[in-house]
Order: sequence, then structure tokens, then C-alpha cells
Amino acid sequence: MELQLGLALPSNPTSKAFDLNYYGIEANSKEVDHVIGPCYTPSYENINDIINIDNNNNNKRSFGQAFENSTRDRVVPRTLPLLLWNNNRPNEEDDPKDLENHSLFAANKNVGDGDGVVGWPPIKSWRKRLCHENQVVRAWNNNLMVENGYVCGGRRASNSMYVKVKMEGVVIARKVDLSQHHSFETLTDTLMDMFRKWSEACEKNSNNYKLIYQDREGDWLFAQDVPWRTFIRSVQRLKLLKSSG
Amino acid sequence: MKMMMGSSFPEEVLEHVFSFIERDKDRNAISTVCQSWYEIERWSRRRVFVGNCYAVSPAILIKRFPDVRCLELKGKPHFADFNLVPEGWGAYVAPWIAAASSAYPWLEEIRLKRMVIPDDSLELISKSFKNFKVLVLSSCEGFSTEGLAAIAANCRNLRELDLRESEVEDLNQSSGHWLSHFPDNYTSLVSLNIACLNSEVSFTALERLVGRCPNLRTLRLNRAVPLDRLAILLHRAPQLVELGTGEASDLRPDVLSNLLGAFSRCKELKSLSGFWDVAPGYLTGVYPICPRLTSLNLSYAATIQSSDLIKLVSQCQNLQKLWVLDYIEDLGLEALAASCKDLRELRVFPSEPFGVEPNVLLTEQGLVSVSEGCPKLHSVLYFCRQMSNDALRTIARNRPNMTRFRLCIIEPRTPDYLTLESLDMGFGAIVEHCNDLRRLSLSGLLTDRVFEYIGTYGKKLEMLSVAFAGDSDLGLHHILSGCENLRKLEIRDCPFGDKALLANAAKLETMRSLWMSSCSVSFGACKLLGQKMPMLNVEVIDERGPPDSRPESCPVEKLYIYRTVSGPRLDMPGFVWTKDEDSALGLS
Repeated sequence: MELQLGLALPSNPTSKAFDLNYYGIEANSKEVDHVIGPCYTPSYENINDIINIDNNNNNKRSFGQAFENSTRDRVVPRTLPLLLWNNNRPNEEDDPKDLENHSLFAANKNVGDGDGVVGWPPIKSWRKRLCHENQVVRAWNNNLMVENGYVCGGRRASNSMYVKVKMEGVVIARKVDLSQHHSFETLTDTLMDMFRKWSEACEKNSNNYKLIYQDREGDWLFAQDVPWRTFIRSVQRLKLLKSSG
Repeated sequence: MKMMMGSSFPEEVLEHVFSFIERDKDRNAISTVCQSWYEIERWSRRRVFVGNCYAVSPAILIKRFPDVRCLELKGKPHFADFNLVPEGWGAYVAPWIAAASSAYPWLEEIRLKRMVIPDDSLELISKSFKNFKVLVLSSCEGFSTEGLAAIAANCRNLRELDLRESEVEDLNQSSGHWLSHFPDNYTSLVSLNIACLNSEVSFTALERLVGRCPNLRTLRLNRAVPLDRLAILLHRAPQLVELGTGEASDLRPDVLSNLLGAFSRCKELKSLSGFWDVAPGYLTGVYPICPRLTSLNLSYAATIQSSDLIKLVSQCQNLQKLWVLDYIEDLGLEALAASCKDLRELRVFPSEPFGVEPNVLLTEQGLVSVSEGCPKLHSVLYFCRQMSNDALRTIARNRPNMTRFRLCIIEPRTPDYLTLESLDMGFGAIVEHCNDLRRLSLSGLLTDRVFEYIGTYGKKLEMLSVAFAGDSDLGLHHILSGCENLRKLEIRDCPFGDKALLANAAKLETMRSLWMSSCSVSFGACKLLGQKMPMLNVEVIDERGPPDSRPESCPVEKLYIYRTVSGPRLDMPGFVWTKDEDSALGLS
């Protein structure tokens, strides 16, 4: 038996799906709609009320009894009487192509160059880094052409390599996709841009910050001291330090 | 606690009875029987699991359960693992630790997943809970080795320190030396997992620690511990049950023979992992323990190719869990199917996820073989580049006992490679035959029809992941109206919009959370949902700037909806919008 609320489709709020742990709070006394049907499934709301009712001599009570005592205080979430779902296919006018024009999945597809899709395939960052490292190492070993940090030869450009970046003095860290960069210049420019949005104290002049990175051994090194290739192979993390002079 | 008038049993008796009831669901059920049972139960609840840290506040938790000993919290949505949740979104555990430090002095265990935990909180943990025993930080961040040093120094009764896949900052000052903060008289370590640490740990400290903890069962080392040192550690801890090695790139015969000697003494060893950059020759060192292994994680071992993998798995007759790279290929999976009849869980990860062409001979056939040969197989994560409806049907029929099925066909919207049709029928067969399926991840070319199957048959489904699939709102409607036990739904890049969401709004209160990104849900619909559903937090995550600077019909970038009893959260960053507390129409 389902609780019928408005025009919305009967959903099935079984108590199984609920973690009753967190609903042991006092019922609100706000005015709410009392949409009570003759057929009623005990849901979490009236269980709350059972919990909050003073215990009388009778420890056992029926749900119906408890329910009657508590109608005044129960909060029933109102489903939206917004849509009556017809089981027919949606209108032909809803051309799926139209969705693409004002939806975002076209826009979100491109992260920088190439066909890169953020977060796809669904592999954790550290696994991706591992893959990337192995790819570069194998390429070196096989004397394949390694240009600008990419292994050439049929590889897609979307080889995203996110590392964390912290700027000295800024609370929130950011992540940057190193696969989109081929030189320290473009990287520092991007980083300064990134932090400009989030830090008021950030000075526009990138000369005031020095870029350091943590390598695979855990050591922190100045990025400008090494060639880009060395950097990209072993970088784990980045930091922007205020330079004193 | 006073005796309740007129109750049949004294409270002490009820409490004793309740002490045998452990599962959350059962305890929830008994708490609803009557007022006195509710009271007794809440005072005696020791273990609490909060699946979404924003669903409830520390204050509410403490008020209801005054004497918790084991606390488990989860924070960010699952898609945060794949960089879909911007940095700074939330999941800060500090307020929880602060509240617990005064309310729960007897707290013993803290388990966190996808949360941000600063060093200060680690220090507070180490000083507030005298009987603290277990710290598990799974995919967490925000802390450094300084925090670990505090834990080591102060937690006299620590049994378990597990940093699973967390991001730990290594501070140069204490790099590697945090381990030496364990006092000399500390001997209670049972489990240590530091595999995720990037930098070196002090080997001397590690060796001494391992040597003086006779109950050590689990030791997962990080990459920086070289293989030649491993034998030393194994000599100190021959009672180990679970081991994760470090790096092992240079093959040296003396190291290999030392290793063989050490392994032969570890009679209890059942689980192996690690093997970064391992020279294949070292695998022969593992052969003697293969028959005892129940769990093997070779998913970091990018240097081991198919033939060596085949030789290895063929000797692991008791293997129950295998995580491996796709270097194993179809041939290796056939060997697995032939040798490992007790296999329960298989995960095959891609070695070159961004390559356009396949770099290994791994196809749908490998998975079919395992599904045929391994009768206990019930949990699968499989990355591949081609799939067919036929194969999925075969897998479904072979393994009706499947409970977790996650298939990732690497190129989005890939059709059945034999027929060029969608994979609707194949996944339909999976949900139809696998009646106990609790978790499903879809991929490949899929229309609304697959969701009709899922809604019809996926009655036990609890978690569903959808990407680049479906044609219209009908797809989402099928899921929300059909899947009775759905708790977590995550969707990306699907043409699902307002209609299905609003028509099934009530369903959202029966679920833990819904994530939708790069879909077609308008800001107007989000506002409406937020207004009408006080028990939901509707979070619009949009880094383009305030959503009301654009038309209401404009789709939002990302949407995260979850049920909560503690109202809108107070720690939202600038790129998250939700309803105002005061006015339903305003925005925070």
C-alpha cells in the first residue's frame, strides 16, 4: 500500500532504505500539509513520533494508534505535484539534439587541447600517474619519440595528469593538469591565473613567486633548475613560494 | 538509568540482550519498538556509521548516541576520485573530531573515507582518546607526516594505522622520521599500511618497530622500501599475514635468494601487494607462497607481462581476490579460470587508459572465461576496449550470483563490436539474471531501454554509476521509479533533465545521494527542488560563477543532492550554491 501524495508517482519509501540512526530528533511544529491516505505505509516520520511519545503503560502499540496520536506534529515531505508522468515517449519536440545546444556536455568535454574528457576513464589520479610514468619510461627504453612530454605514435592527447598545487598563504589547494603544458612558462602562467581567482593577496606579477616541486623521492626542488622532461617524469606535487628578492 | 515502570524486563537484561545485536539495521529496528527500547539502545550503541558526513551533525549524533566507541564517516561523493569534485568542496572532519574529543573520551576507532583531515585533528585524536586503537584514512587528504608523528607518539594502544590511498604531505623536517615517534615500549601494532606515502621512511625505525610488535599481521610498505631490505623485515615478522612490498627494479641474485629464504619462513602469509617496478625475475621468489595466497594485488606492477602473470596465477589455487593490470590478457584470464576455482573478486585495470589502439590482447573473452571457470566469482571491475551483448548474456547466465559488476569500456558510447547495436540487451541480461546485484557500473552505447531493464529487474540494486548513456528523461525516470533499494546514484554526461528529477523528487529522500554532472538539469529545477524538499540539500556546483547570472533554464555544471537532518551546511566554498536558510528563493 502506498502513500499517495499529490500527482507524483508512488515511490516506495521502505524503512529498509533508511538509516534510522539520524532521524531521532524532535518533530517540527511547522504547519505542514497532512496528506493522509487510507492506505499507509509506516514511514520514518511516524516512527520518529513513536520515539518521541511519552511511554504509557502499554509498551506495545499499533502503528495506527501511534499514528493517530501524532498527526499534529508530523512533518510530511511534500512531493512535488509538478509533473504527471505519462508513460509515452517524450514529445518529438524534445529533440535530443536540442539538449546539446544548451546543455553542458559539449562544453565540458574539452579540457584544454584534444579529446580529453575530465575524469574518464574512471581511474584514480595516482593510478593515472603510475600509467603515465610507465608510459614515459617505456618510451625512453624503446627509444620512441618523446616530444613535449607526450609519447608520440597514435596516443590520444588526453593524458591528463593532475597534481596538487599549493600557493604559500592560500588556504585552498588547486589541481593542475600537467599534460596540458609543455614548458614552465605556460605552467606558471596558468598557475598564477588559477590562484588569482581565489586569492586576493596574490600579486599579479609571477616574478614574485617561485615554483618548486616534490619529486618521487620526496625531495623538494626548484622547477627551473631541471629540464622540463626531468620535471614531468617525477613531479608529484607543486608549490608556489613567495620569493624574497 | 532508572527502571521503567511496568516494563517486563529490567533494563539491564534488555541491555544484555541488545549487546548481541550488532548490525545497524537491526539496532535501528529495535530502537523503534518503544520509548524504553529506544533509550536503552541509544545508550548502548557503540558503533556508528555515517555514510554522508553532511547528513547529520556531530551535535545530533552525540545527543542521540552518548557513548560511541567506533565512528565511521564518509565525505566527498565517489566521483571525487576522478577529479569531478573541485578542490575545497568540503568534507572537513575537524568539527567531528573536536566534538568527539569532549563527548567520547572512550572512542577507540575512527574510520574516514574521502575526507579532509588536518594535522591538528590528528593531534587532537592522539591526545583525547586514551584507549584509541584504530585509525583508517581511506582516500583522505589535508594532513602530513607531522600529524602521523603525533599519532605515533601519543596513541599507546594503537593497533591499526591504515592510510589507504590517502594523500599525505611529506614535510622535509620529519620526512621518514615520524615512525621513530613510536615509543620504545610501544608494542601493540597489528596493522600498518603506508603504501601511499611518497617519501622514504626511516628504515631503522621501521625495522625496530616491526621487531618489537609480536602481533603484527599486516604490513603494507611504500614504494621507497627497497626489496633488499624486505627480507630483514620478514625475518623480524615471520607471523605476517598480509604484506605489501616496495620497489624492486634491479634483479640481484643475492636479494632473490634472501627473499626466498624469508618467504619460506612466513607460514601465515596469505595476501600480497606492492611490486612497483618489479623485475620479473623476482616473481620466482613468490612461487613458494603462491599456494597459500588468497589475495594478490599486482595492479601497480606495470613491468610484468602476460607470460609471467600466467606462471604466477597458475600456482595460486586458493586465490580469492585478484587485482591485476590488463597485461594479464585473455590468455592469462583463461589460466586464472582454470587454476583458481575459489576466485571471488577480480579487478582488471588498464595499463594504457589513454591509448587509442589496444596495447594488449584483452577483450571480453577474458571476462567470459573467468565467469565460466570460477563459480564463486561475484565481484568484478573490468576495463576493456570491446564488448558484445553475447558476452554479457553469457556472463550473466554463468554467474547469477554476481553482486558487484562494474564494466568500463574505455571509449564512451562504444557499441557491441559484433553487431554495432547498443549494449542494452547485454546489461539487461545482467540485471535480469543476477538477482542479488547490489552494485552496477555501465558503459558503452546505451539507450533508454537499458534503464527500463534496470528499473524492472534491479530490485536489489543499491549503487548505480552511469556515464555517456541514455536518450531522454525516460531513462532517469526508469531508474528512480523502479530501483527500490537504490541508495547512491551517480550520473555524468547523460541527457537527463528536469522532468524525471522533479517527478521522482520523493525518491531522493529514500537515497543517500544523487550526483549529476554534465547533464541537462536546469538551475530553475534545482531551486524548485531545494524549496520544496526541506530534507534535501540541493547543491549546485558551478565554477562559472553565480547561477543566477544566467537564465534559469541554463543547465548547471554539477549537482549533488543528499538527504540530511541538519539543514544546509555552513562550510560551502564559493562555487557551491544552495537554498538560503531563511528564504526559499534566495541563494546563499
